[in-house]
Amino acid sequence: MYKFFIYSMLVVLYLGLAKTLSPSELGITYLQNEKGFSKLTDKPKVTFILIDTHVTGFLIKTFYQKYRVISDYEEVEDLIVRSSKEFTQKNLDNIGLSIYRRNDGEESFVPMPPGTLYLNDPEFGDWKKNADGVTEWRFNKSYQNFPKYLGWGDFRPDEQFYNDAQLKLRLGESFYGNHSEFGPEGTLTKKAFPHFFSEERRKKIELKTLLIDYFKENF
Amino acid sequence: MAEIFDRLIIRILLAGFICLMIYLYRYLHVIFYPSVKKQVLKTINPSENPADTMHLFARMVGIGIIFSSITLNESSGFFLSIFHFSVWGLIAIALYLLSLFILESVVFYHFDYTDEILKRKNLSYSFISMCNALVIAYLTRVVMIEAENSLVILTILWLYVLVIVGFAVKFYGLISKLSFNRLMVQKSLSLSFSYGGFIIGAGILIGSCFDQEHYDITVYLIQVLLKSIMALLIFPLFKKGLTRIFPTKLTPGQTDVEMQQIGYGIWEGCLFLTGAILTSMLVNRIQFGTIYPFF
Repeated sequence: MYKFFIYSMLVVLYLGLAKTLSPSELGITYLQNEKGFSKLTDKPKVTFILIDTHVTGFLIKTFYQKYRVISDYEEVEDLIVRSSKEFTQKNLDNIGLSIYRRNDGEESFVPMPPGTLYLNDPEFGDWKKNADGVTEWRFNKSYQNFPKYLGWGDFRPDEQFYNDAQLKLRLGESFYGNHSEFGPEGTLTKKAFPHFFSEERRKKIELKTLLIDYFKENF
Repeated sequence: MAEIFDRLIIRILLAGFICLMIYLYRYLHVIFYPSVKKQVLKTINPSENPADTMHLFARMVGIGIIFSSITLNESSGFFLSIFHFSVWGLIAIALYLLSLFILESVVFYHFDYTDEILKRKNLSYSFISMCNALVIAYLTRVVMIEAENSLVILTILWLYVLVIVGFAVKFYGLISKLSFNRLMVQKSLSLSFSYGGFIIGAGILIGSCFDQEHYDITVYLIQVLLKSIMALLIFPLFKKGLTRIFPTKLTPGQTDVEMQQIGYGIWEGCLFLTGAILTSMLVNRIQFGTIYPFF
């Protein structure tokens, strides 16, 4: 009993020290749910786009999410956070969407296509008619790289897109675009963030294949 | 041909210089062990006192192990490399002797070299002393390599390794069933084999904890500390597992006598050594990968 007590104390000591001191535990933030976003940045206008998720561990899983954080003046960074199982699984259908937005203190957690935050804001751009006569959103020159960061490619949202997005926002429902351009099934998301959709990540490896590959590589 | 011959001459000269450094060590040894002055400085008869021979020549092996950590860079010139070897050789000798002095003060707190080796010719004492010398030499070699010619880092690592070795030595009393002081008085070789296996295992384990890349000394020391505690957690599992796989039985009523037999010491020593080697594998040779290349 005494030895068991000493061993238990050693385990506690190791876990405590590793949690406090280990470099691998430092520098990565834990995001339990949506409410944690506000602590990640103090920028007045910011959007968090979920671009990848990853799971590690054998018996006890650790969940990671990768966000593209875009704030004013083209400040863009890819941020990796550790997240809870519930939050990660809840957002698996929201890949490529903006999970969190803040606009002058007003926060929104409804998953929306990336860039919704900037639509109809004259500071960032304005509505212009294209050659086909359709009114599209165009960013100002100082934000000309935003479509690339947002994963739009050649896509430019029209007024219909904006109106539908606002309606969904008011209803508190996720929006994937008029033609499902965004999200896990979205063509634009698949093109902009291909890593999440790569064949290697998707395929389930059979034990036989795994063993054959192992012997090929090692012998 | 001339270049090859030149390199051969350099090696011959360096061999001579290393012998000169070991000769110097012989005299420095006396500073820490004044009582061995007669034995060290006169012509030695190895057959006269095997305990003393083992005690002294284990240190010669040790100094050889430490010297092997010093790299000679001939591209910067023969004399500069000789000077580099002299400086680091002297530092190595000083650290080695100081480490041995401190460790033996802890391990042989109740025993004296003159009594045990010179008067009683205690082979158990000399065998344990030999194991200590080899382990300290190995660990000094490890920290000298990790210090990468930085005296400050060498000092920090050396102090750190001494603290860990100090704790490890105290750990022996907790995991061995043998009574160190009583069996030492009885010149028991069982004790020496058991302790030998333990301290060599501990040396391998501690050395492997230090053997890792380091860019920042604080992070490095934290990693070593965490690995050392991890080793403390894993080692008892192997010890328990090996005891279950190879069950042993001592005769009831004869337990104490049988523990004094060499066989029991060999069994304990092998158990500790195997446990430590396997622990070092699990602590240091396991790759969990990183999320960054894939994520």
